[in-house]
Amino acid sequence: MPSMQEELLRLKAAAGEELAAISTIGELEPFRVKYLGRKGEFTLVMRQLGQAPPEERPRLGQLANEIKQELETAYASREALLADAGSASAQATLDLTLPGRALPFGKLHPVTQVMDAVCSIFEGLGFAVAEGPDVEVDFYNFEALNIPPHHPARAMHDTFYISDSLLLRTHTSPMQARIMEKEQPPLRMIAPGKVYRCDSDITHTPMFHQVEGFLVDRHISFADLKGVLSVFITRMFAENTPIRFRPSFFPFTEPSAEVDIGCVICGGKGCRVCKQTGWLEILGAGMIDPEVFKKVGYDSEEYSGFAFGLGIERIAMLKYGITDIRLFYENDLRFLAQF
Amino acid sequence: MLLRPCMPFFFNGLSLFSGDDHKTLSMKFTLNWLREYIDTDLEPARIADHLTMLGLEVDACVPCYPDLTGVVVARIEAVCPHPNADKLVLCDVNAGQGLTRVVCGAPNARAGLVIPLALPGAVLPGGFTIKPAKIRGEESCGMLCSAKELGIAEDQAGIMELAADLQPGVALSKALGLVDTMIEVDLTPNRPDCASVLGIAREVGGVIGKRIKPPVEAPPALSDEKLPFSVEVESVADCPRYAARLVRKVKIGPSPWWLRQRLLAVGMRPINNIVDITNFVMLEYGQPLHAFDFNKLAGGKIVVRRARVGESLVTLDGNEHQLEPEMLMICDAKRPVALAGIMGGANSEVDAETADILLESACFSAIGIRRTAGKLKMSTEASYRFERGVDPQGVPRAMERAVQLIAALSGGEIVEGGVDCLDGVIAPAPIILRGKRTRALLGMDLTLERIGAALAGIEIDVEKLDDDTLRVTPPSFRVDLEREVDLIEEVARIVGYNLLPTTLPMVPMSFSEQDPLRELRKNLAQTLTALGFYEAINYSFVTPQHCDLLGLAADDARRQSVHLLNPLAEDQSVLRTTLLPGLLESLRRNVNHQSHDVRLFEIGKVFHPQGSRQPEEPFRLAAVISGRRNPGAPVLYAGEIQADIFDVKGVVAQIIGSLRLGAAITCQPCITGQELPFAEPGSVLAIKGEKEILGWCGAFSQKTLKAFGVKQQAFFVDLDLAAFVGFSPQAKNFAPLPKFPLVKWDMALMVPEGVAAGEMLSAIHGCGEKLIERAEIFDVFQGKNIEAGKKSVAISITYRAFDRTLDDETVGKIHQKIIEMMISRFNGQLREA
Repeated sequence: MPSMQEELLRLKAAAGEELAAISTIGELEPFRVKYLGRKGEFTLVMRQLGQAPPEERPRLGQLANEIKQELETAYASREALLADAGSASAQATLDLTLPGRALPFGKLHPVTQVMDAVCSIFEGLGFAVAEGPDVEVDFYNFEALNIPPHHPARAMHDTFYISDSLLLRTHTSPMQARIMEKEQPPLRMIAPGKVYRCDSDITHTPMFHQVEGFLVDRHISFADLKGVLSVFITRMFAENTPIRFRPSFFPFTEPSAEVDIGCVICGGKGCRVCKQTGWLEILGAGMIDPEVFKKVGYDSEEYSGFAFGLGIERIAMLKYGITDIRLFYENDLRFLAQF
Repeated sequence: MLLRPCMPFFFNGLSLFSGDDHKTLSMKFTLNWLREYIDTDLEPARIADHLTMLGLEVDACVPCYPDLTGVVVARIEAVCPHPNADKLVLCDVNAGQGLTRVVCGAPNARAGLVIPLALPGAVLPGGFTIKPAKIRGEESCGMLCSAKELGIAEDQAGIMELAADLQPGVALSKALGLVDTMIEVDLTPNRPDCASVLGIAREVGGVIGKRIKPPVEAPPALSDEKLPFSVEVESVADCPRYAARLVRKVKIGPSPWWLRQRLLAVGMRPINNIVDITNFVMLEYGQPLHAFDFNKLAGGKIVVRRARVGESLVTLDGNEHQLEPEMLMICDAKRPVALAGIMGGANSEVDAETADILLESACFSAIGIRRTAGKLKMSTEASYRFERGVDPQGVPRAMERAVQLIAALSGGEIVEGGVDCLDGVIAPAPIILRGKRTRALLGMDLTLERIGAALAGIEIDVEKLDDDTLRVTPPSFRVDLEREVDLIEEVARIVGYNLLPTTLPMVPMSFSEQDPLRELRKNLAQTLTALGFYEAINYSFVTPQHCDLLGLAADDARRQSVHLLNPLAEDQSVLRTTLLPGLLESLRRNVNHQSHDVRLFEIGKVFHPQGSRQPEEPFRLAAVISGRRNPGAPVLYAGEIQADIFDVKGVVAQIIGSLRLGAAITCQPCITGQELPFAEPGSVLAIKGEKEILGWCGAFSQKTLKAFGVKQQAFFVDLDLAAFVGFSPQAKNFAPLPKFPLVKWDMALMVPEGVAAGEMLSAIHGCGEKLIERAEIFDVFQGKNIEAGKKSVAISITYRAFDRTLDDETVGKIHQKIIEMMISRFNGQLREA
């Protein structure tokens, strides 16, 4: 039986020779298992250390450790060498210009994207969200908003009727009356939803989306209306967006205003979209008319408030440069994929 | 008046609060016209800006006339025939600097005529440049122009004939006042006073601090004694004021250039001097007028009364109207001669033979005109103004202005005196305006003096009651001012909205409840986009044929739909009761556009009628999958593998999983009955709670796809979202992570092909063996080497213990037990690997 020292030296020589012959990464692991593993040859030899004469043990132990370290170092450098060579050859054969293996990913409709953006700005300002029925009763759509039968403002609405008293809401403003009727100020609400008007051409679809909003409390002023809507516009468009408020008319607000922003297409220089004015109308607003408060039983001497409304498609068209509103309802993937 | 059916209104769209355009009257005028009443040298753009900021939104501000540089006034001194052409003449023309020879083909060329001459170098509208030329061998050094060639009127019958006293050589634009700007304002319905050039001038005056100069300040008092006609107003409520005057011996003819020019500039066609004057004064004062041929009025009498049963009237537009007793008419002694405030009758029309004119200037009840115009579906310049309210004090002023013009322009003789029935005129009531209230509502510190001055600037009478209160009497032309808040808006308007402060409100903090259904919709939309679906939005109204195309049974609840009374088209006439047809149509359009790989979803309302009450409006979610399984992924890897029913089933599983409702909701095969006639039999799964069905997924039948024109297979999901809200998601309770390794053992069983794989898995999961962590099918095979009527199902079972590493012996025993259980339960046999 060879001495343990002979055995160690033989192992060292054999392993060194075998390691040097290894040319692929795949051969490394069997080598490691054979010599350096838990049940490997080296371990088996080391087990004999207990049988060696006690005076020999320290020397043999040291030798064994040296040989093991040498082997491990050689193994590591062989592994590194082969890994480098391997990746070098892979680099030459792997065509990384081939496409990635993407999983499908869809998108929300641009109307939803803009609607969510609008709502989240107001929600950030503490407005709560309420949604009402699409099929509305005449009273909430018109009368509660100070638009009695035969009022000329009704001519401004091309209304789809379902019966004498039911209609498809022409705006989301009925939610003002519905909520105020049920709750007491202070109120901060927005009402997003679909609205309907009998009109169809390149700038009108018979169904579109609006967000109505209102705030009622004591001491609310027109200056507050300007402040809240200015915050909205700078968040929705850009911090330095020019804004102007100008007088208008809505039956349910007084004073009433329309709000323009500097034309996003031409930067205010004048173009076809802004009809050379440099301004684009983006929302309607005003102080809630005392008649509206009267209908819901609020004392307009005690409470005041403002309301506003905006068309989502219009904002989406301005933001994204969409020229035909009808595209929103064709659900063409070539369109939906762009946003 | 009235009203030739002149110029339709430009109603363009609508909007309350939607930030798009309005349905409004567009009022046109020119800058020169405006300057007749207000002294201003402001640039057109500045005026337009002021008007817009006053709430009179300017829609257009454009030059009225083309650039006519090089076109001058000239006189034809001599005309001689063209030697080589019968229809041409040679004109010697004096353009201020000697004679010029011009070849002309106009029939009216004659010596002595003053005409416009385009000199060489002039560029006519349309880009035609004038050059010296030889025409049939004769030199021509310029061109004599028709009004149409110059772009200033439609007249093209011959060269334009100018007034004889114009100086040859003067630039035509200077001679005719052809430098002007047309401004078009969109009027909101509350401002009928601005449906007049004077009204607009007044507003401009309010901003620049000047008063208007109307052409008639104080009309003369009229005596109705010894008049050759009489007026009777039956109800002063219907007609608060009615004035009439007679002008005899008028000569009907064309209007002078200045008048035609005014009308042309605002797009109104000149007709004759009388009609043009009534239109002009209407635009000037906002007061509609009507001229009757007096000799056509029976009994020399005007009666303002409601129509009688059976009466009818042919109006100036040639239409005959059956009159109803609520309609207000202007009648003579026998019959109706005009629809009051809307349009004149053909039976009393002014024509070329008319000699005596009875002119009407009146004020009618706004509601009455609105009803009648609405009923007859008529809308005229006059009815627009009356419907919104005209100034009762404008009635005599417009009358005076018009008779003066008629006398001046038609040679008529004004009969002294006239009728002015004004018993129905109600003076506007004073309004108390509080300074404190004004400051509070506008959020601006305004002194009472500033408030008063703003109102006084637009002719609103203001009287100081005490330190902080004004008594304000609105002028008669401002029918919109009735309340304190209306005056506060006026103050804001004149001060300027943009000068009002901008602040953020101080409001108490609050947290509002979130609507669970809205949250659910948002979550589902996120899940579906992450699963590769694009969101679709379809119209809520659809064609009633969808139910037929889906093959719904006659008694199917989805056939009960809400109908629109006035749909735009038959295919948008009912509210949808299911989302699937909309998605099928979207799918068809996409496939037709060669987008074959489609994943679309929609979350929206459907509508179920509830008698005369508002319909139910539950939200549903529908999705379709068609084309390749992995749309958008490179064909290189994903290949052309087409989606199948397991794709929609997988989507449903992921939806349920994402909502943490896996324990409560299952997706099971179901036998479709009447509910899903559009699905492929045997390819439908029901999504179920404990008892209720929450929706379905499956494959569309070929018949359905064909009916909707979809040329490829498609699969659907259709869920009732309201039903989902009732389920509570499984609580998030942490389970300690396993410390010991798992082991996987497989089995392959041959079973009859009718055995459901899902039941085999359930049997394993339900066998009560605690060490089974999960079981998974990894292969189902039929065909080669498998007996007919059988299939091979390969299942991998994962075993794990929480407290130790499992050894082969333990697992082997359990695995064997399960194999035996499966063989006996499913009539199977073990398949050797």
